[in-house]
Amino acid sequence: MIGFLLDGLIAAGLVGLAYQAVTSRSLFRGIIHFVVFGLTMALAWARVGAPDLAMAEAAIGAGLTGALMLVAYRRLVEDRRDAPVDPGPAKSRLALPIAIGSGLLVGVIGLSALFSDVEPGQAGQAVLADLQQVDLGNPITGVLLLYRGIDTLLEVAVLLTAFLAARALAGSESGTGSPTTQGPETPMVGALLAVVIPLTVLVSVHLLRAGSYEPGGAFQAGAVLAGAGVLLILSGRIAAAETAGLLVRMGLLAGLVSFILIGLTPLLHGGPLLALPGLWAVYFIETAMMVSIAITLVLLFAGGGGLKRGKHG
Amino acid sequence: MDSLGLYVLAAAVLFGVGVYGLIVSEHLMRKLFAINIMGNAIFILLVAASGPVEGAPDPVPQALVLTGIVIAVSATAFALALMVRLYQETGQATLSSRDEGDDG
Repeated sequence: MIGFLLDGLIAAGLVGLAYQAVTSRSLFRGIIHFVVFGLTMALAWARVGAPDLAMAEAAIGAGLTGALMLVAYRRLVEDRRDAPVDPGPAKSRLALPIAIGSGLLVGVIGLSALFSDVEPGQAGQAVLADLQQVDLGNPITGVLLLYRGIDTLLEVAVLLTAFLAARALAGSESGTGSPTTQGPETPMVGALLAVVIPLTVLVSVHLLRAGSYEPGGAFQAGAVLAGAGVLLILSGRIAAAETAGLLVRMGLLAGLVSFILIGLTPLLHGGPLLALPGLWAVYFIETAMMVSIAITLVLLFAGGGGLKRGKHG
Repeated sequence: MDSLGLYVLAAAVLFGVGVYGLIVSEHLMRKLFAINIMGNAIFILLVAASGPVEGAPDPVPQALVLTGIVIAVSATAFALALMVRLYQETGQATLSSRDEGDDG
């Protein structure tokens, strides 16, 4: 009963925060509501029993999306402070009926899927039975790398493409507004970084390692590592550079290239594409993907093509 | 009605809120919130409606949603870059021409 009440609160909170995010008067408040919405999503995932998703949502959905939105907001307001940033909501007579109709559509689909007579989760049962033979305790890592490898490969490719596209769009004057906070020389900042950065690296390596037998994995680990990078940028330790050095380029490509190369090797002896040759391949690819995801997300946040030592580095 | 049903209903309402926000909001960043909310609604729906397997949600939709979360942040980052560029070029971060009358 208590659990049901908690779920009710979370569900109501999600709806309320979402409504606030799209309708609140100031754009900044909208961003904050959206970030809190992401955190509440993480709670909802934890309640549903999906800790992997909860961690991914908290780190990527709430954390990094929020950071990216705040940086974009800053670029909007620092250009012209006098201009109105948000023209406010438009009047539309059709908006409400269309919204209600599409909500009803989704609800009917969901409820009919939930209460259908078809036995649920047949693919999931097959995965769990099949993974018993492989020494991989986390079924989600198994699905991501062993059964839906092409999805994961393309996902890394999409992330890289998004970064390249965002980079291509950036105007020549971009990158001038560095997101460094004021007063990064304060002694407390250095002390904080000395504690937080090693801990963050430790947590991300743990998440990566844990991903094979309990909740965690390359995406969560990469997002946490990217969080450390964002912190370093905010405190002025590293800054965006115009072009990427060799190390950053290799890091950007590591996940995609190692996945493709290892995925292609089975073709040499007549196996299927992306049939990973063993657990070492899973670990190797996950590590490379973690590095690539972290560097891509940090570069997206920094708004530059590469990284260099910052003013306070 | 159990908790999964509750989350399916929440997903439906969230999707409605997202569609409403997408239509009503003028600012592109707000439209981005709306699109992300719609995406999150579908994520909840995928996991909650697939039903439990051995006590936890089905791992296959969970993996799909994990992929989806990363794709969503990639698309959002790209869209934000588009919006910032549009703002640098035109001085406004909306697509509508409705406001032009207000300036004159």
